Amino acid sequence: MTEATVTHLPEASLPIAVLGRRGMERLDLLLLTVESLDFNGGEAMLWATQQLGFESLFPNRVELWKRRCHNPLRRSTRRGRLGSAETEALIRLLCAMADRLYPMLHQLLSSREPADLSKQRWALVDQRLRDLIAERFNLRRGAVQRMLSPDHSSSIQRQLVLTLALAAGPGGVDRLRASLLDPTP
Amino acid sequence: MLKLSYRYDQTAARLEVDGLPDFSSGHGDSVIGILSAWRLQLVGAPELEGKRDHLEALMAVVFPYARHQISGVSRPEGWSHHPVSIRPVDGGHQLGLTSSQPDVPPLEIKLDDADLADLLRCLDALRADERVAISWPEIINHPLSRRELVERVPLVRRLAAPVFGGVALVVVGVMAMVAPLPSQDTKAPTDSIEAPRPDPVSDPSQADPSR
Repeated sequence: MTEATVTHLPEASLPIAVLGRRGMERLDLLLLTVESLDFNGGEAMLWATQQLGFESLFPNRVELWKRRCHNPLRRSTRRGRLGSAETEALIRLLCAMADRLYPMLHQLLSSREPADLSKQRWALVDQRLRDLIAERFNLRRGAVQRMLSPDHSSSIQRQLVLTLALAAGPGGVDRLRASLLDPTP
Repeated sequence: MLKLSYRYDQTAARLEVDGLPDFSSGHGDSVIGILSAWRLQLVGAPELEGKRDHLEALMAVVFPYARHQISGVSRPEGWSHHPVSIRPVDGGHQLGLTSSQPDVPPLEIKLDDADLADLLRCLDALRADERVAISWPEIINHPLSRRELVERVPLVRRLAAPVFGGVALVVVGVMAMVAPLPSQDTKAPTDSIEAPRPDPVSDPSQADPSR
């Protein structure tokens, strides 16, 4: 594992990014993917928020969870939009986590890995992500059902892992932010 | 002169840059201000090297391509006369490099998703490195347009809803034309015509009440 590259930025310098519904769904789903790749993902996220200097925004795991509940696909969803500072903090947190998990992301995406090993790795990710989605998301929503459907789940999961790999590290923050601000097609 | 060399390593990519400090700009001894050469090693591909212009051309296609990939859109970058191009191929990406020397044939390098991520991280690291004080062309990441995002949806799925809607409209229209309309009769109500009218005077011997 590489050490997460952290950059302390004053909150005043954070760009304004208020995510729409789709952006918030994707952001939370990417954080959920991080949790599926790392058993201690929840703890690691809390640690990373402290390292990044976001203790005031996310002083504890409950506050972090409450911000993530702005995802409309959640079982217990919160109304309203997430503030720009909190959104930016979550984006930077995600990029730092992706940087930390980059070797694993690389293994999953590499075509040079042995096929059997790669298949088993993807099966583990698939199982963990399914469990987390079933536990936390509203299964009556069509988008959630699509994530869990055998026809679509593998392509969605690969896109999530590729997104994390391309957003890993400080260089990915700008790319990921722009991507999350994409309009709904 | 003091030649400096810095290296950026990833699992499947290694980028090295050579250069000199630009003392006229007030850079320190360990800061590259003038880039003299760079080399890029990608696993399973010949080593690439060039000058600053070529590296900028590589950045100019790889960053926008990655920006589109992160949104799930596969769009080729770089055009025919551009020294570097990248386009999606089945299960990966193809990096095309055209040499400025006349006798060197164009080079095609196949990358998988992991190679692309490694290359991107090397370029990110170079741009963020404070030891390399070169004003790189600015990369601005914008949200994609709705049209670009629509293209990632398969054509069949994109057309399904409007085709279904059009077919439904036609079917309803045909049914409305075929189905008989309820007849509008302008005559007097049938019950007043067909009902047997009682003879005002059934029995001639009976007295007529109207009189």
